[in-house]
Amino acid sequence: MLTLGIESSAHTFGVGIVDNGKILANVKRMYSIGTRGIIPAKAAEFHAKNAAGVITAAIQEAGIQVKDLEGVGYTKGPGIGPCLQVGQLAAKMLASKLKIKIVPVHHGIAHLEITKHFCGFRDPVFLYVSGGNSQILALQKSKPPHYSVIGETLDVGVGNMLDSFARGIGLRPAWGSTVAKTALHGRYVRMPYTVKGVDFAFTGLLTHALKLSGSVRKEDLCYSIQETAFSVLCEATERVLLLSNKKELCVCGGVAQSKRLKEMLSKMCYDHKIRFGYVKDEYNADNGAMIALTAEKLLKGGYQVPLDRCDILQRYRIENAVTLQG
Amino acid sequence: MLLIGEGAEAKMFKVGVRSACVAVKCRVRKKYRIQELDKELRESRTRKEARVMEEAKEAGVAVPRILAVGRFSIYMEYLQGKLLKDTAQKTKLYIEAGELLAVLHKANIVHGDYTPANILVSSGAAYVIDFGLSDLNGSLEEKAIDLLLMKHSTSRRNYAALQSSYEEHYGDAKLILRRLSEIEKRGRYQTRTLE
Repeated sequence: MLTLGIESSAHTFGVGIVDNGKILANVKRMYSIGTRGIIPAKAAEFHAKNAAGVITAAIQEAGIQVKDLEGVGYTKGPGIGPCLQVGQLAAKMLASKLKIKIVPVHHGIAHLEITKHFCGFRDPVFLYVSGGNSQILALQKSKPPHYSVIGETLDVGVGNMLDSFARGIGLRPAWGSTVAKTALHGRYVRMPYTVKGVDFAFTGLLTHALKLSGSVRKEDLCYSIQETAFSVLCEATERVLLLSNKKELCVCGGVAQSKRLKEMLSKMCYDHKIRFGYVKDEYNADNGAMIALTAEKLLKGGYQVPLDRCDILQRYRIENAVTLQG
Repeated sequence: MLLIGEGAEAKMFKVGVRSACVAVKCRVRKKYRIQELDKELRESRTRKEARVMEEAKEAGVAVPRILAVGRFSIYMEYLQGKLLKDTAQKTKLYIEAGELLAVLHKANIVHGDYTPANILVSSGAAYVIDFGLSDLNGSLEEKAIDLLLMKHSTSRRNYAALQSSYEEHYGDAKLILRRLSEIEKRGRYQTRTLE
């Protein structure tokens, strides 16, 4: 079922096209965060300017005709309101012009679904780590089925924490991958470490690291904040795995692009004989393919939403989102 | 040395024979984290756990007696018995567990993982074990979470017995229970269970 998916929840405007689980195109353009982070109105303007171009490029890359499309999906939330609206509008226009089915998709579920799809796992625990989210989840096979959050951050997402830190100490570009690069030549200095059972927190770590800036080398701060934050994530995930007795772990979301995080999780899984999987960076960063893939799955499962009820929701909890079993 | 239990961060061993048995809780090395952080965490958590156990004992809570504390291990008396989750006759023991939690909370100690898997029944009496996630100077919220966790881990009847005994032995119980119902109203806790 030829399906197009649009992602626009934050800095990326992405369009993906799938056909029966096969990804035919995944095109994206990213709003530059510069030194000030995402400015919602500017990011939305960027998306609006690029929407048509990215959609056209994706259709070209897939080598299909627009009229062959059978379904369209878009990110309903969670995300930045003005940015979400652009994707929603583009999807609704496509759906009404082509008279095809449309379905809103939860951004987090799309990350989980594309990861599960490529790893071929049956019932994994997920560590979903991105800018705004840091959660440990598993599918509940209740009626209706839903992803339930077993553990999560009590304050901010790990990605935003690393971005704020990078901005605070003057790294450019100000985000996690720059912290990772700078960390390569660092040594450990003591940092606050907060795990509460299966939940965890990061703001104490951020405040402390920023306070030390000026008196401690940047390299050492980067190394220590990264090692501490990722150890926190590993420990909480390890506890969830042992409590739930599940034998598979997937890591996904923007921060899952980190080599160091994957290395740590893989060591932890090895010690407990747990299968560990993740997807290519292209699919961990925000992208349209994951929205297309999830939309196709929902549409095939018989789920669709009338055009006039295709809304957006900035604070969209994953437990409340529609999903399908398996 | 016999492995008798394993959790996410520690292994529990039984050492010795018959009447001269010692239980050793050993925090194991985690290869995923850098050594400096690993040692620091295991060391400080071992020290803290021992300290909370001592304080709990002082407050009058039945806990295993600590014999010695090493860098990463706590040596304590070995108690022959069954976990509360595995025992048959229960109501009386849940009443006892409610009183134990009341005494802990009166001393501002929060356990952090108060479930039937962490109450040991030895010679008919209940002991609180595994203070790995516990803390001193516990907040209202943390106390309420101690109750919430127990509520989610046992039958309605058992929990009712525990709660009424908790209320009977703890003057601030009303405050804690009010916080508990607030927590339960926060959406995410309603769906937060492990199958």
